[in-house]
Amino acid sequence: MDGQLIDEAIDLVRSRWTAIPLVGIILGTGLGELVEDIEVEEIFEFDELPGFVPATVLGHRGRLVCGRLDGKPLVALDGRLHHYEGHDAGQITLGVHLFHRLGAGGLIVSNASGGVNPELAAGDLLVMESHINLMFLQVEDPSSSNLERAGRILADPYHRPWIEMALGVAFEKGFRATAGTYVAMTGPNYETRAEYRMVRRIGGDVVGMSTVPEVIVASRLGMKVLGLSAVTNVADPEATDGTTAGEVIEVARSLQPAMRAIVAAIVTDEAQADSS
Amino acid sequence: MLELHGQIEEAVGVIRSRWESQPHAGIILGTGLGSLVEQIEVQASFDYGEIPHFPQSTAISHAGRLLCGTLEGLPVVAMEGRMHMYEGYPLKQITLPVRVMKALGADLLVVSNACGGLNPDYQCGDIMVIDDQINLMGDNPLIGVNDDRLGPRFPDMCEPYDQRLVERALEVAGREGITAHKGVYVAVAGPNLETRAEYRFLRTIGADVVGMSTVPEVLVAVHSGMRSVGFSIITDMCLPDELTPADVSEIIAVANEAEPRLRTLVLGVLAGERTG
Repeated sequence: MDGQLIDEAIDLVRSRWTAIPLVGIILGTGLGELVEDIEVEEIFEFDELPGFVPATVLGHRGRLVCGRLDGKPLVALDGRLHHYEGHDAGQITLGVHLFHRLGAGGLIVSNASGGVNPELAAGDLLVMESHINLMFLQVEDPSSSNLERAGRILADPYHRPWIEMALGVAFEKGFRATAGTYVAMTGPNYETRAEYRMVRRIGGDVVGMSTVPEVIVASRLGMKVLGLSAVTNVADPEATDGTTAGEVIEVARSLQPAMRAIVAAIVTDEAQADSS
Repeated sequence: MLELHGQIEEAVGVIRSRWESQPHAGIILGTGLGSLVEQIEVQASFDYGEIPHFPQSTAISHAGRLLCGTLEGLPVVAMEGRMHMYEGYPLKQITLPVRVMKALGADLLVVSNACGGLNPDYQCGDIMVIDDQINLMGDNPLIGVNDDRLGPRFPDMCEPYDQRLVERALEVAGREGITAHKGVYVAVAGPNLETRAEYRFLRTIGADVVGMSTVPEVLVAVHSGMRSVGFSIITDMCLPDELTPADVSEIIAVANEAEPRLRTLVLGVLAGERTG
């Protein structure tokens, strides 16, 4: 990835959309329907955005949506790139750089995950309060030296007030939600029983194949981060009976109302902070 | 991964020009299975250099030949000489022979390796039938755009090793008076042996043995819809608090000593295949 591509992408977006987004959102597996709640002002397909490549996976579309939620400006990546598709860290995190350059102070990122904490159930919302990076991915792309960097990644990249807000909103709406630790592995295979046990023993509550690279970059850029993980199946190693991508997407959809309410609450809060 | 389909077809074309049988099993002759070659009734033999897209034999320390023939009356293809990640080969190339075995008609993969024992109940020279695996290699042969003709995007890994074959191998061991464990193999990239701290870590996450191979091949076998059975020879014990420097000649001596027992187990499993 190089800085010139992102300059070109910014120029293109700015030629058609001039608002300053409060947050940028990466819509993960099955959560793309949040787009339907956005009052869309501009849409950029990935193949017209310099540097972006089309997503290849079921349930991921590949476009940048610029618009408003309850009248507050935001941008959303509908469809994300994964390491297991063969994309490098620079490509995976390009959207976060774009959000930052457009002026977004925060990143909201969603994903689908498998629960390894036995207290979790399919359909739960896990609000990420920490992560463990087992992706072996070099997130610092040496060729990106001309991109903005704001120092070291914070030890605690997830913004505590947003974690509390997300849990509060989820409870209010009647969803099961908890804060926890997300472990990122490369995939694309689902984990073995032995790997699920490993993830649990090292302190993970859920395991997935995304999000961590984007969070690292957002944190380095000084953005506030909220990570929402839809627990789509509970991977009890003693009873694992197989996982299918179709089920994963179905369960993730059921959390749509909670996700939408959380995003709305955060955007409203940011708008108030902005005007005060 | 879209390049693989053509590569497989080219490799199969060369093999088919001299061998027409449909193999029942593909065998990777890792440490401890080298002498099995003597029992294969070879009908055709190919240096890796003769097969398109196989790694060139000049680069590997072993023989580097693909043998086609029968073993105990069962048609098989066997790899004499295997490639490792630490030699610098991409995992897609290391695992290409497994896809070729599948394309030739094999539905069973048999693998063996030498490994370090982490489980204190094991002893140097013991054999472990692999029950499950943990991938800590930092890479995965399935990364890239998936080719749906070869297998699913997200392969399920709830049973990477065929449990009927695990049980059959343990039965043969019991009948023949061979000590055989059932346990978890963790793969790391290597090539250095692990530190004491790493041994503690690997034991903590639930591994019984550690090695630098096998996991990529089995991931691809699962992706291809093949059954797998795997055997590890524990060539040295890796107990962090009793660690002595590894002695390569000793490791080879242990592997050689275990070889007849391992051969008995493999032939026993294959005999079961013949009778169904």
